[in-house]
Amino acid sequence: MDSNKFTVFVMPVLQELLLSFTLLVASTVYIDTFASAVELASIQDNVSNAMIGKMRLQFWRDAVKSIADGRPPRHPIALALHDASQKANLPSYHFRRIIDARDAELHTSTHMTLESLTAHAESTSSTFFYLLLSLLNLSSSTTFSHAASHLGIAQSIHVLLRALPYHASKGRMVIPAEITARHGVRQEDVFRRGGDADGISDAVFEFATVANDNLLTAREMFKQSSKGGDGGKVPQVAMPVFLYGIPTRDYLGRLEAVNFDAFAPSLQMRDWKLPWRIWRGYYKREF
Amino acid sequence: MSFVRALVAAGPSTGLAAGRITASRLALAYRWHSTQSPRDPLLTTEHKEHLIPEVQVRSPGARIYTAADEPGKDFDPYKDGPSAVDKAVHLFFFTEIIRGMWIVLEQFFRPPYTIMYPFEKGPLSPRFRGEHALRRYPSGEERCIACKLCEAICPAQAITIESEARLDGSRRTTRYDIDMTKCIYCGFCQEACPVDAIVETQNQEFSTETREELLYNKEKLLANGDRAEAEIAANLQADHVYR
Repeated sequence: MDSNKFTVFVMPVLQELLLSFTLLVASTVYIDTFASAVELASIQDNVSNAMIGKMRLQFWRDAVKSIADGRPPRHPIALALHDASQKANLPSYHFRRIIDARDAELHTSTHMTLESLTAHAESTSSTFFYLLLSLLNLSSSTTFSHAASHLGIAQSIHVLLRALPYHASKGRMVIPAEITARHGVRQEDVFRRGGDADGISDAVFEFATVANDNLLTAREMFKQSSKGGDGGKVPQVAMPVFLYGIPTRDYLGRLEAVNFDAFAPSLQMRDWKLPWRIWRGYYKREF
Repeated sequence: MSFVRALVAAGPSTGLAAGRITASRLALAYRWHSTQSPRDPLLTTEHKEHLIPEVQVRSPGARIYTAADEPGKDFDPYKDGPSAVDKAVHLFFFTEIIRGMWIVLEQFFRPPYTIMYPFEKGPLSPRFRGEHALRRYPSGEERCIACKLCEAICPAQAITIESEARLDGSRRTTRYDIDMTKCIYCGFCQEACPVDAIVETQNQEFSTETREELLYNKEKLLANGDRAEAEIAANLQADHVYR
């Protein structure tokens, strides 16, 4: 995968996590899946009109189909995914779901309701976690899948909030219109004045609350389930997937510390404590 | 100073007045000749009497009024000379000339803005879209996988691709032609490419003597890529944070 294809906002957060991960899980297969997800996510930022994006997504649809048939196109990521699918069972409908969601996103990058945004997050981030679970042969567990779906929504909102200044600079509003309308936020105001816009911090607060609720729900899964974990602890086998909750928790904590000003410069920087937290989370088996 | 002012004020205005007089005289003379044409049947004496009736003066002391006698309009005694605005304009324009000459003098001693083009070049954006190139992987294998997305998206239909499968099963292009005379340098091909094979380099100096030389084939494009690879990589690196 080309280094230029990493989007500004996806990579810094996940880079350290990815590196820690590689050491812990020692799985190139993981990196392949991650690369494909990032490649798909970055298509919409790399194309100037929707038609080119649709064509590239169609290429990926064909690629997923031909990977399943055992003759992948000579694309580095497609070849890597082919290798991965030899080693583990990666259902191609997960890939198709991600591609379809990205396709829909090309046309409507702004969501009107929280519900549609949640559905989109489930089709992208959560589906990526389902893929990771299938890599670890854990996809049969409903507890894990359920927790992963909530974690995916939380993580998706985290990425959107972190990228809010980036999207605002491109003239896109990532917070659903339902929430911004409730707090009287004017989009143009946000694009021009950023964090000083009226009501934006209230809207960010409400949006971040949704992420936090989903994170708590995902954590709750392991407390109440009898077979899943012991006293809120995540089983060691599933920990690589649920480590994704740690950057989200960390970001939400930092967002609260700056009083929900998503445009604060400190939020754009990496948290130096993140590697330590991930390492600690891995051994304490919680996120 | 007053001498200069008088000179400036008087100089052009006298010339202007003289010009105006000669022009009106010429016009009068022309009209005189044309109306007095003896061959014109409409302007014979009996017809003229019908057309212009004699003015019947009924009230005593009545006279023909001119434009100068029109009530509410003051007669301008300076009509034939330069107006006050004209004089002021000429004065200020004179200082304008001096100031303009001063700016020229300042610039004369400053370093020039121009660059010696073929030897010096101005800055180019990392996104500049110039001559095309096909890239290779570091292993030397060509990137293009003959997916034909660039051919499909090309609005000028400048790209022609033919492909066939290799012995190892991978599909590669056997022909990759770009008609550079059709290309509009929109950059859609490099956006559409899933493997970043076709790119537009920063080279803008590829003029040729014949039209045929602008019909690029795969060898030419790969050679471009080999030549510009370091530059392309540096540009992608410089630009990736904004994408």
